[in-house]
Amino acid sequence: MKSVRWSAFIILLFLAVFPLVVHSDYYRHIFIIALMWVVIGSSWNLLAGYTGQVSFGHAVFFGTGAYAAGLCVTKLGISAWWGMLLGGPAAMLVGFLMGCVCFRLRGPYFALATLAIAEIFRLVAIFWRDFTEGMQGILIIQSFRSKIPYYYLALIIAAICVFTIYSIMRSKWGYYFVAIREDQDAAESIGISSFHYKSISLMVSSFFSGVAGAFYMNYMAFIDPEVVFSLHYISIMAILVGIIGGAGTLYGPPVGAFIMVLLQELFRSSFFGMAPRWVSDAHALVFGLLVIFVIRYMANGVVGDWPKISRLWSRGKEIPSPTGGNLS
Amino acid sequence: MKSLKIVVLMILSISLALTVHPSFAQEAIKVGIILPLTGEKAKFGEIEKKSFEMALEEINAAGTVNGKKIEFIYEDDTGRPDVARSAAEKLITKDKVVMLGGGYGSSETFAIAGVAQQNGIPFVISTGSDNKITEMKWDYVFRINPPVGDYPKGLESFLTEVVKPKTAAILYENTNFGSSGSREFEAICKRLNINVVLSEGYQSGGVDFKPLLVKVKQANPDLVYMISYLMDASLLMNQSKELRIAPKLFVGGAAGFTLPEFQQNAGKASEGVFSATLWYQTLPYPGAKEYYEKFVKKFSMETEYHGAEGYACAYVIADVLKRTKSMKADDVRASLAATDLMTVFGPVKFVSYDKMANQNKLPTYLVQWIGGKLELVWPKEIASKPFMYPIDWEKIRQ
Amino acid sequence: MEVFIQTLVAGVLIGGIYALIGLGMTLIMGVMRIINLAHGQLMTVAMYITFVLFSYFKMDPYFSLFISMPALFILGALIQKHLLNPLLRIESIIPENQVLMTVGIAIVLTEILRFIFHSDYKSVKTSYSTATFYISGISWNVPMIFAFLIAVFLTACLFFFLLKTDTGKSVRATAQNKDAALLMGINAEWITMLTYGLGAALAAAAGTLLLPIYYLFPDVGGPFTLKAFVITILGGMGSTVGAIVGGVVLGIAESMGATYISMALKDAVGMVIFVLVLVFLPGGLKTFTRV
Repeated sequence: MKSVRWSAFIILLFLAVFPLVVHSDYYRHIFIIALMWVVIGSSWNLLAGYTGQVSFGHAVFFGTGAYAAGLCVTKLGISAWWGMLLGGPAAMLVGFLMGCVCFRLRGPYFALATLAIAEIFRLVAIFWRDFTEGMQGILIIQSFRSKIPYYYLALIIAAICVFTIYSIMRSKWGYYFVAIREDQDAAESIGISSFHYKSISLMVSSFFSGVAGAFYMNYMAFIDPEVVFSLHYISIMAILVGIIGGAGTLYGPPVGAFIMVLLQELFRSSFFGMAPRWVSDAHALVFGLLVIFVIRYMANGVVGDWPKISRLWSRGKEIPSPTGGNLS
Repeated sequence: MKSLKIVVLMILSISLALTVHPSFAQEAIKVGIILPLTGEKAKFGEIEKKSFEMALEEINAAGTVNGKKIEFIYEDDTGRPDVARSAAEKLITKDKVVMLGGGYGSSETFAIAGVAQQNGIPFVISTGSDNKITEMKWDYVFRINPPVGDYPKGLESFLTEVVKPKTAAILYENTNFGSSGSREFEAICKRLNINVVLSEGYQSGGVDFKPLLVKVKQANPDLVYMISYLMDASLLMNQSKELRIAPKLFVGGAAGFTLPEFQQNAGKASEGVFSATLWYQTLPYPGAKEYYEKFVKKFSMETEYHGAEGYACAYVIADVLKRTKSMKADDVRASLAATDLMTVFGPVKFVSYDKMANQNKLPTYLVQWIGGKLELVWPKEIASKPFMYPIDWEKIRQ
Repeated sequence: MEVFIQTLVAGVLIGGIYALIGLGMTLIMGVMRIINLAHGQLMTVAMYITFVLFSYFKMDPYFSLFISMPALFILGALIQKHLLNPLLRIESIIPENQVLMTVGIAIVLTEILRFIFHSDYKSVKTSYSTATFYISGISWNVPMIFAFLIAVFLTACLFFFLLKTDTGKSVRATAQNKDAALLMGINAEWITMLTYGLGAALAAAAGTLLLPIYYLFPDVGGPFTLKAFVITILGGMGSTVGAIVGGVVLGIAESMGATYISMALKDAVGMVIFVLVLVFLPGGLKTFTRV
C-alpha cells in the first residue's frame, strides 16, 4: 500500500507543478478538462464500479450542478461561484429522488431507467425556456482571465474527490458497497440495507458530479441543455472513462480520464496539427474501436488488468514451466 | 504496481514534452476562422469554408498587407459550443491569431464571442444570428449578418402591403436559432397586430410532425412561419401537403427553406413556399452575381446566403488588416469598428440599433419557390419574378 | 374531434414502424438478456444499404427488403459470434460488459458509415413517398400503412417460428435456461448467433421501410434505439405480440402528447412511460396476457 501512497504523491506533485512549467493555455485547458473528468469518472465509479449500480444517466447530476450555478446568475443575480456550493447539494437531491424511483430495479433495468431520467431532464430543460433559457443557453464572463486559478481549483476538487472515495472504500461503507455489488440478496440477508447503502453511494457520487457541473459553468462560461445533459458526451463518456481506466479501482477513473481526454484532443487536432486533416474525423472511430478492444481483452480496464498488460512485456523473459503448460 | 507508476509518469512526461514543440516562423498574418466542418451543420460549414478560401485566394493574389500574406487557420467547432470555445482559445493562445472570423451556429458563436471579448481579440461574425450576441454590447464582437430578429424584415412590408394577415402560427426547431427566432417573430407579430394562435417548438429530427400540424390545421391561421433546418423543413411541408393544410401563405425563416435540396426533397410540397433570405445572387451589389457564378463553376455546387456571408467576411477581414495601424489587438479592433466597405453581401458598416451594438444593418428579402426554382419576389423593385399570391393550393398540389 | 382522430391515426401508423424496431430488440433482450445499444445503428446500416440500392441500382425499397434483411442477419450473427459470445466467458467486475460492448459497436458502425457517406442528409424519393388517401377528411399515409402491415406480418411469422418450429423452440429454451438447454443438446452458441441475427434483420426491415418517409444520416439510429427499449419494456421482454402492442401504444402516446401537451416534449413522453413501466409494471404488458 505504501508504494501506492508514494506514487500518488508524486503524481499529485507533478500535476501541481504542471501549469507553472507549461505556459501554454491550450495544454492547461486540456488538463483542466481531464481533471474535471477525473471527478466525474470517479464518482460514476463509486456507484457503478464499487457498488455495482451501473448508471447510464450521470449527466443528470452534472447538468443539475451546472444549472445550479447558471441559475444563480440568471435568476438570483449572484455570481456563479455560489453554484459551487449549491451544485453538489442540488445534485444530491436529484440523486436521492432518482434512487427512490430506481433502486428497486436491478442491473440493466437500473441502467436504462437512469438513462431515461437523464433524457427527461434534458428535454424538459430545453422546453422550459422561461426557467433555463432553453437552447439559448446561459453565458457568463469568466471571473479570471488566467487559467491558473481554474486549474488549481479543478486539481483540488479532483484530489478531494479521489481521497474521499479512498476513505469511504476503506471504511465499513466500502465493504457494504462491495457486498451489495457482489450479491445484493446475500447482503440483505445478513442485514445490510441495500437501499440505504446504495443511496449513500449514489448521493456521494451525485454530489461530486454536481460540483464538477458547477465548475464547468464557471470555467467554460456557457452551458445549454444539449451540452450538460448530453447522453453521448457526458453520461457515456463517464462510463467510458470508468471502464477504460478500470472500474472498481481507485486509480482507474483518473487514468481513464487522462487517456480519454488526451486521446480525444489528440485526434481532434490531428495530433496537434502534425498529422493529415482526415485524422481528426477519425477520433470517434478510434474511441469505438478502443471500447471494443478494452471490453473484449481488458475488461477490467487499464488499471484493473494492469498485471495482464505488464505481463505482455515480460513474456519473453518468462521461464517456461517444467510441466510445459502455461499457468496464466 | 511499480510498472504502472512508471508508465503513468511516462505518459505525463510525454504530454509535457509535446507542449514544448517548436512553433513555426511567422511569415503570414494569421486569422482564425471557426466553422462546423464535421457534424450536422457540416454542409453549411463547407459552403462557408469554400467561400472563405475562394476569397482569400483572390485577396492574396491581389496584393499583400505590409509585405505579408494573410493566412486563415480553420478550426472545426463540430457544431458544439464547448468545442467552439476550446477552438477559439486554441487559436488565440496557441496560434496567436490577430483576429477571429466565422461563427455559424448561434450557440457556438455566442461561446466564441465570450472568449474573444474576454481575451480582447476582435471577432467578426459571419453567420451566427441570435440577437443576444450583439445585444451584449461587447466591444470586441462585430457582426456582418443581420440578427435573426431582422430575418423577417423583408417579409414585414410584404405582409403589411399585400397579405394583411390576422393570425399566425409559429413552428420552430428547439435550438438557439429556432428559439430566439421564434421570440423575435412573436414580437414582430405583436407590433403588426397579428394574433399568434400557436407557437410551438419541436425537437429537430422528428419523423412525424402530424400531431403538430393537425393543431395548425385546426387553428387555421392566415400565416404559417417556420424556423427549420433542411430535413425538418422538407418533412413539414410534405406532411402539411398530406394533411391538406392551406393557410394564406407558408413562410420559412431562411436556413432550410432556401437550399436546392429543400425543393428536391419536398418536391411539389415546396411550391409556393416563401422564405426570408439574407441574400440572393441577383441583388444589385457589385460582385454578387460574379461570386455566385465563380463558386458554382469552381466547386460544382450551389451557394447561397451563408456562402456570401463567408465571402464578404473574408473581404472585411482583409480590409481591416490593410487599414489597421498595427497588428495589436486594440488597433485591429479600432480598424474593424471603422469599417465602411461594400461587399457581395451588401454594405458593411457597424452601427448600434435596437439594443445591439457593432451590428451591420442590412435589409432582408423574400424569396419564393416558383416552378421549382427559388425566385426573389420582394421588394418588387428588385424581384426576379413577380410573387405568386394568393396561392391556389389545390392547383399546385395535384 | 378531427384533431383527435387524425392524431390517433398518426400515432397508430408510426406505431407500426416502432413495432418493427421493438420486435428485434425484444427478441434479443428476451432471449439473450443482452441490452443491445447498437440496435439503432444496425437499422442505420440497413438504411444505407437500401439507399445505395436505390441510388445506383434503382431498386425499390420494398424489394431491397430481401437484400437488407439477410445482409443484416449475417452482420448480426457475426457480431454475436466474435464480439458478444466471448464476453460470456470473461470474468469482470461489472456484469454490464456486453452493454458497453454494444456501445462500442454502435460507435464503430456509425463512424464507418460517416467515413464512407459523410454527414450530409440523404434521402430516397419514391413515387409513393407522400402518397396519401383520405377517409372523411382524415389523411392516411400509404407507405406507413404498408410498414404497419408488414410489421404485423413479420410479427406473425416470428410468433409462428418461436412457437411451432424446432429451432424456435430451441431459442425459447435457451432463453429460459441456458444451462439446461445446453444439457439438452442445444448448441447455445448457434442459437445466440441466430437470435442476434434475427433481431438485426428485423431492425433492417424497420430501417428499409422507414427510409421512404424519412431521411438518412449516420446518427439517425440513436433515438430509435431508445424507442426500441421503451417498446420492449412496455410490451414485455421476449413477447412478440407485446412488441406490436407496445409500438402502437408508444406511437399513440407520443402523438397525443405532442398534440395535447407540446411537440417539444414528444420524446419525453416516451421516457416517462418507460420509467413508469419499469417501476410499476416491470413485466410489461405481457403480464396481462400469457403470450
